Order: sequence, then structure tokens, then C-alpha cells
Amino acid sequence: MAAIIRTEGLVKEYGRGARRVRALDGLDLEIAPGEVFGFLGPNGAGKSTTIRVLLDQLRPTAGHAEVFGTHPRAGGPRQRARIGYLPGELAMTGRATAGELLRHLVQLRGGTGAERIEGLAARLSLDLDRPIRGLSKGNKQKVGVIQAFLHRPELLILDEPTSGLDPLLQHEFLAMVREAQADGATVFMSSHVLSEVEVIAERVAIVRAGRIVDLDDVATLRHHAGQRVELHFADPVDAGDFDGLSGISDVEVADHHLTCLLRGEPDPLLKVAARFHVTRWSAEDRELEDLFLDHYRMPVTEEEVADDGR
Amino acid sequence: MAADRPPMSLPSAAAFPVLRWVLRVQLRALLGWGVALAAVSAMYVSFWPAMGDTAEMQALVDSMPEALVTAMGYEAIGSPAGYLESTVYALLAPILMLVFALGFGARLIAGEEEAGELELEATSTVGRTRLLLERYLALVLAVVWLAVLVGAVSLGLARALGMDIGTGPLLGATLGLLLLVLALGSVTFAVGAATGRRALALAVGAAVAVLAYVANALAPLLDDGAWLQRLSPFHWYLGNDPLNEGLGLPGAAALVVLALVSLVAAVVAYDRRDLGV
Repeated sequence: MAAIIRTEGLVKEYGRGARRVRALDGLDLEIAPGEVFGFLGPNGAGKSTTIRVLLDQLRPTAGHAEVFGTHPRAGGPRQRARIGYLPGELAMTGRATAGELLRHLVQLRGGTGAERIEGLAARLSLDLDRPIRGLSKGNKQKVGVIQAFLHRPELLILDEPTSGLDPLLQHEFLAMVREAQADGATVFMSSHVLSEVEVIAERVAIVRAGRIVDLDDVATLRHHAGQRVELHFADPVDAGDFDGLSGISDVEVADHHLTCLLRGEPDPLLKVAARFHVTRWSAEDRELEDLFLDHYRMPVTEEEVADDGR
Repeated sequence: MAADRPPMSLPSAAAFPVLRWVLRVQLRALLGWGVALAAVSAMYVSFWPAMGDTAEMQALVDSMPEALVTAMGYEAIGSPAGYLESTVYALLAPILMLVFALGFGARLIAGEEEAGELELEATSTVGRTRLLLERYLALVLAVVWLAVLVGAVSLGLARALGMDIGTGPLLGATLGLLLLVLALGSVTFAVGAATGRRALALAVGAAVAVLAYVANALAPLLDDGAWLQRLSPFHWYLGNDPLNEGLGLPGAAALVVLALVSLVAAVVAYDRRDLGV
């Protein structure tokens, strides 16, 4: 089947003259129907720029973008009727209540989805009678999420959807994404935190400085990123017992306390640790920034560049 | 509150969803400006028996330097039409209405875009041009509302105070006032729509308004200033002595053309540019 979203060599530059900034530098993407696709990268990498090109808010400097097989500018309102969009920066003010704003947004889309407002608001526990200007960031984000899902769009484009949502609501949000996918929707969501998208996305693209630097399924990416494992023991341990275990690196031992980086299965580490008396343990997914720094060998200093050429 | 909510079961598309929302959000501002403008207009018109219609006022004007009298348009301040023009139609109403219309025009696209509040609207199924036209219509309706208030208060009080002003010229002058404010509001709106910069739109709009006012007021003092005056939208509005003679057709047409050219430029530029950058 044809791709839902496709970009080829997408370039976007802002500003004029000396202040010209290249936000997208030849970005290629292809998202298949029914896919949940994670779009990851640090702030300023070009995620929102890409998304706003797809919504026809920005016009590309060069290259090509299409949604449902049509350029966003040519697709216009008819194309956007099939998209649910959550902006990355959601600005809402005014005396109107959340419910009034949502009904207005429904009107802007020709009235589809009004009957779903109350159900979705209840799901995310949003009080529809509160004035928008008094809403917290999290509550505004709920309004944004709800309006994106209201009309059961074929394509959801969500820019940092979980920012501002507490863990319980993130869970509810993910359930909504799964339901949309079960309905046949395609989901394109951005984040700067891998853990936010890995539970739901099948494939993930990592964008940096306006280019895709890696595109993989989530399991592979997670393997690359690894986990930071901490173990506390009742008695002092020796680093030598842990060095060289499969999937374990960067072992550091300070008296009763061990930290290491785990990539792959934790089994070998656990088997060794089980020989001792473990008093506490934790395993945290590493942030995307770490992954950039150590796995993708993004040149940061000249020394690192030299290392790369080794 | 929950009981007030209309039933949500029927999907229905209302006409002009953008316009309705803008008017609803701006309702308080529109009412507030309306009340203020009506009150100031009423106050000045009702000074007529005490100030305009007296020998003292004429003596005061006679004692002023001729250039000042010309610049302020006080030549005919002793007549009812001249008084109404000097106080309300050529001074307070256009200034107050322009302050409102320039601010409103700059906010309608550029202001809300800079605040990020236009993103959901611009990514809905409302096309760019329709979004812009509905928002422009909000400017038109707001200016009409204020002009109607000025006209109604002036006409009502003129009749109550027995001022000898024809209804036709007064309505013509009110239409001219409306067109002047709309034209300059449209310039501001267009700069905002073309650039997305509220401060720039306000600056351009205010500069045009001030230059237009100054050119109209001071050009008669220059030996060869007629050409300069003819460039001023204030002259297009006031040049025909509207409260006596009615609104001049060329002037009215020029104001309409300025508004339309601004609107077309806004549509073209808004359709082409990046939004929210």
C-alpha cells in the first residue's frame, strides 16, 4: 500500500541572509498505513518543523512532502479533515470553558466528533466547565489531545503528546492511541524521550540537526540505548566479578554499590548478582541524549572526530 | 452549568465558525469600546448649546492664529455641522475608533499567531483564505458597530438639541468615518497577515494614520499643499465637507479601494507564507 506520509530530501530554512538557519537538511521519511511511528530527537532537531510542513503551516525550501499521496499545500482543508493534530506548543487563553473551546474546534472541522467530547473528557478527567485561562499545562494538554482524537482521524500527528500529562494519564493516552490504531489509524508521534514512544511505536526514527540519523524498530533501538543498572549489596563486592559479563559495560563499584550499563538480556548480570546479598536494585532506561552521545558517535569534539576515524 | 450545555448528539456545521468565535471572544472589548465611544460622542455633542452656539466661541476662534484654525478645521465651529465635525467626526471618533481598529486589526491574525493561538484554527479544515476572510469580517463588523453608535448618538442628540444638520449628510459622514477607520484598519490587518508580526502591523498602521492626519491638517497651510492633501485618507473622508455636503463619492471610492487592496494583499501574502514562525 502507498505510504501515508512520505518526505524526500525535505529541506526547510528559516530567516534571511546571515541569520539563515537550516532546520531540516534533507529529511527522508516513509510511514506505512496502520503504523505507530515514533519520531525522536532532542529539542531543536527539526521534529516540529517536519510536522508543521506536513500540516501545511510551513512550506518546504526544497524537497518533497506528501500526506495521503498529496502535497500538504495541494491537499488543503480536505486533506487536513483526515488528520488529527496535536501541536507541540499549545497556546490557549480566554474566558471560554474547555467544553466551549472543544465544541468550537469541532465546528471548525464541520461538526464531526461533537458527540465524543464528553466521553474523552471523562477518560482524561478534564473538567469541561473550567475556563481555559485557568487551566494548568496538563489540563490544556488534555484539551489538545482530545481535539486531535475527536473526529476519529485516519492519521494522528502528535507533537510531544505526553508532555505535561501525569503517568496515569499517559497510560490512558496510550490506550487511546492503541484504540485508534485498532480502528485502522496511522499514528506519527514525536518525543524527545525514548521511553515515551517505545511502549507504543513499532518503528522509531531518530532525527538530529534536521536529518534522520537512525531508523529502526524499537527493540533494536532499545538494545542500543541500554539501561543504567544499580545494585546495592549487603557486603562490599569486587568489580572483577562483574567485568566482562555478556551485555555489561562501564562497571563501577564503590564499596557496597555497583553501577553498570546493560545492553541486552539482564540474565548474566542477575545470575552473578544472585550470589551476593542484594539489598536494593534499580534499572533505568537511558535518555536519548546518552544514546546519541555513546552509540551514534555524534562528533562533539575534535578528539571524538579523530576517534571515529580510527 | 452542565444543564446549560446544548446537546452534543447532532453533528452540525455552523456557518462562519471562525467569525463567531472571534466575536464571542472579543464581545467584552466590543461592548466596552462601544460604551466609551458613545459616551464621549454624547458628551461632546451635548456641549453644543454651551460652547458652539455662542458668540464667545466664535470670538475665541477669531482670536486664534489663522494657521491653527485651519489646521484644526475650526473655520466653521460656530455652525452646528462645523461643531459636530470639529469635535466628534474629525477628531474624537476617528482617533478612538482608529486606536481600536488598529489594535484589533493587528491582533486578528498577527497577534493571535504570535501567541500561538491560531495553530489549531489554521490546521483545522478551515482553509487559509477562509480563515483570513472570516477574521477580516470580524474587523468589518466591529468597525460598523462603532460607526453606527457614533452616528446614532450624533443624530439623536442633534435632533434633541435642535441642531440644524441634515440627516443625509450626517449619515454620509458616518459612512465616511466607517470607511476611513476600516481602510486604515485593513492596512494594519494586511501587514499583520503578510508578516505575522503584530508590532510591525501596529507600527505601520499607526504611521499611516498619523501621516494621513497630519497631511490633511497641515497641507492647507502650505503654498502648494493640495497634492499632499489629496493623498490623505483623512482628506478622502473629510474633503467634501461631509456634514454639510454629504460624503464625496471619489473620496468614499478611494477609501473602499484602499480597504480592498489591503484585503487582497492580505489574502495573497497569507496564502504564500510560513505560519507561526
